[in-house]
Amino acid sequence: MANLEKYIRPTSLEEAWQALREAGASARPIGGGVDLALFVPREVTTLVDVSALSSECSVRTDGGLDIGAGVTLTELAEYDGAANYLGGILVEVLRKVASPLLRNLATVGGTLASAHPWSDVIPMFIALGAEIELYEGETCATALEDLVADRAAAAGALISRVRLPAPAGRAGAAFEKFIRTGFDVGMLNCACYVAFEDGRCSTVRVALGGTPDMAKRVGDVEALLDGQPLDERTINEAAKRASETVPARDDQRASGEYRRILAAAGVRRCLTRIAAENGGGA
Amino acid sequence: MRIHVTINRERKAFDVDPGDKLLDVLRREGYMGVKKGCGTGDCGACAVLFNGRAMNSCLIFAAKADGAEIVTVEGLANGERLHPVQEAFLRSGAVQCGYCTPGMVISTVDLLSRNPDPTEDEIREGLSGNLCRCTGYVKQLDAVKAAARLMKGGDADV
Repeated sequence: MANLEKYIRPTSLEEAWQALREAGASARPIGGGVDLALFVPREVTTLVDVSALSSECSVRTDGGLDIGAGVTLTELAEYDGAANYLGGILVEVLRKVASPLLRNLATVGGTLASAHPWSDVIPMFIALGAEIELYEGETCATALEDLVADRAAAAGALISRVRLPAPAGRAGAAFEKFIRTGFDVGMLNCACYVAFEDGRCSTVRVALGGTPDMAKRVGDVEALLDGQPLDERTINEAAKRASETVPARDDQRASGEYRRILAAAGVRRCLTRIAAENGGGA
Repeated sequence: MRIHVTINRERKAFDVDPGDKLLDVLRREGYMGVKKGCGTGDCGACAVLFNGRAMNSCLIFAAKADGAEIVTVEGLANGERLHPVQEAFLRSGAVQCGYCTPGMVISTVDLLSRNPDPTEDEIREGLSGNLCRCTGYVKQLDAVKAAARLMKGGDADV
């Protein structure tokens, strides 16, 4: 049973952060509130609603995207700048997340703060090289992959913004998700970003999520692709390496063995699509 | 705590507890068209328009609604005249037990307000948060197509 006593709606990040700091473990920030509506830990008596504090998207002059933490998944999917970013990868992924009713409520910041291991948004953002702007009295930034790997390090900080870098001149991204039923969370998901230079992979980020642990990059696969042309042979090797190195294990959705097969399929499909859409990078 | 909301174009004020969900407050205040199905954001029976977008009211803290504009299924009709989406659901026979219907209608209103001419895939996607345990979703698909025609001044017959 929840013991909520206060629901406050501060008007600035500073005010929100102070309120959270003063209340300590008894307070939680809330975005859309999808997770907190289902479960509020016993010790939490105060919710600090931050959803209205940074609720805008913008395209930076360098072509990168700034996404406020309070932006809902629907707002991001409907944002023109998202449609124009790397062939609309954000729009494609977001349409596969939960249902419209939930996407209208859930915020980008809340999604990152909840940090579910099966999240589709997190591996996508990791593959795109997202940097997270945090507020803890002052603004600081960290790579999303570091934030989700060690959430304790950012305890007490508020997520204020997601910063996506400007894509390279020649680059592509793709996402694959394996689900049992339309409304379930994934058994595994895979997001890839490849930038090309002189027909070869120059920057590669491959993230696997729902393994069933938290999404992370698979460095062995990235290293294998680095400097190579994105042809069928390389893609097959990358897929094989993904299945060998993915930290997969069993849970109620799928066995570790099956997840290793999915990791290979995900990497193969994503890379094949990126190659096809970029003429093999050549 | 006290919240001020606009519900179905009427200004209201309610006393709520910080942990109350909008769904429970709405039903307590007499908006019984908002249905409580799962209470966990899976079935969509509790959908309302919250500042113009369809959402699961079971997952919205009532405190969050302070200052918000809410439309429930009761607020769609214009006097005795049904909203075109309601009219289309009625004429298409898209109702069996009817429990999911208010949520389906609300999701359809949101969908058609952004996309007046959705494809069948877009309709399925638009209603993917609304579960129906009676039908096979065929009549609801017909109803949304009919509603789209009706809203463009066309014929809702199916």
